[in-house]
Amino acid sequence: MGLEQLLPAIAGMTWQHLVMIGVGLILIYLAIAKNYEPTLLLPMGFGAILVNIPLSSALTQIDPATGQAVEGVLNVFFDAGIATEIFPLLIFIAIGAMIDFSPLFRNPSLLLFGAAAQFGIFLTMMFASLLGYDIREAASIGIIGAADGPTSIVVASRFAPSLLGPISVAAYSYMALVPIIQPPVIRLLTSRRERLIRMSSANHNNKRISKKALIAFPVVITIAAGIIAPSSLSLIGFLMFGNLIRECGVLNKLSLSAQNELSSLVTILLGITIASTMTADRFIRTDTLIIIALGLFAFIFDTFGGVIFAKFLNLFRKEGNKINPMIGACGISAFPMSARVIHQMGQKEDPYNYLLMPAISANVGGQIGSVVAGGIILTLTPLLS
Amino acid sequence: MTSTIQTALFIAVVGLAGIFIFMSFFYLIILALDKYLPYREEKPAEEFIEETFEEEEEE
Repeated sequence: MGLEQLLPAIAGMTWQHLVMIGVGLILIYLAIAKNYEPTLLLPMGFGAILVNIPLSSALTQIDPATGQAVEGVLNVFFDAGIATEIFPLLIFIAIGAMIDFSPLFRNPSLLLFGAAAQFGIFLTMMFASLLGYDIREAASIGIIGAADGPTSIVVASRFAPSLLGPISVAAYSYMALVPIIQPPVIRLLTSRRERLIRMSSANHNNKRISKKALIAFPVVITIAAGIIAPSSLSLIGFLMFGNLIRECGVLNKLSLSAQNELSSLVTILLGITIASTMTADRFIRTDTLIIIALGLFAFIFDTFGGVIFAKFLNLFRKEGNKINPMIGACGISAFPMSARVIHQMGQKEDPYNYLLMPAISANVGGQIGSVVAGGIILTLTPLLS
Repeated sequence: MTSTIQTALFIAVVGLAGIFIFMSFFYLIILALDKYLPYREEKPAEEFIEETFEEEEEE
């Protein structure tokens, strides 16, 4: 009896499998040692190991004896949870239950930064199409710039399932790397004088918001978004449903469950299921490196879009009422990391400059903006491709 | 310019404009909700019961 019969996994192992097992180990290392999005990168890393051992029963395999396919559990999860979009949409309920929209009610004009900071999505989409990707693939790559994992997964699973692995890895990795990516871009685009602009407004920060307004907000937004763009409803609707559970005041147990148990359980399933697309034959390609580079490009130009928009608005604002352009960078969806980074940058320049409240308002705007961007891409792309 | 790049450019322009329109609309919704559903100090339940009791006694 040869090695092939005794240990078929070793006999079938190629250098590509070993590289992918290495990628899995790196993801696990980043999750544990560096605390980079551990809830997702750890299951993805472990899943990458699981699916890159030849003949793994976690994936669908052909039984040599019968010639029939034996379904692997990760393929079952993928078909049930990702192809149907159930997992990312459940995550949206959890995220909605975690978001407090009251900072937006205190500084509603900062909502517009949630639009400006989606610039990187569209620029990256154009750049990807220049590199030869078709429009659906380009849209899926561009959406990495939403800085919003579930939105990236929904768009990629619908338009480019074969690219789902690298897109998810890029989206979640760069979200974790916001403190490293944003500061140099901001420093490059702003002067010290601009970074010193103070925005503290006691009236805004202490303003109290009515419970009725917070309850009405998710319902009104869902109806408005549904009327304007029905195909964006699955994204916005689930996010707002989660928020309604949080704000209604009579479903506190459900709200806590959505924020904790639902979020944790679905994230585990989501992470390990995405890993089923990280097989050596699908992942070790030039495409993966290009997608990871384009993801970084998208994050850089999101920051660029937000900062430049703030500088543009300042052209029309009076002295003493100007916006600190760094706040524009918080229009991405990485919450609350981006707001914290900007607040810390502000304090580094001037320890008495408190940018946290406006930064959080813009960051919450970014959470809505990324979902709206996903909805718009889901609506426009099929119409034009 | 290939048709894919033209399509991407079109989606980029319409998409960015669309996000700004959406967000401006949401901004107006927030202003409207804040205006028509303003915050009002709610009295604690005990205070409310005491006041009602006093009113009843006066009657």
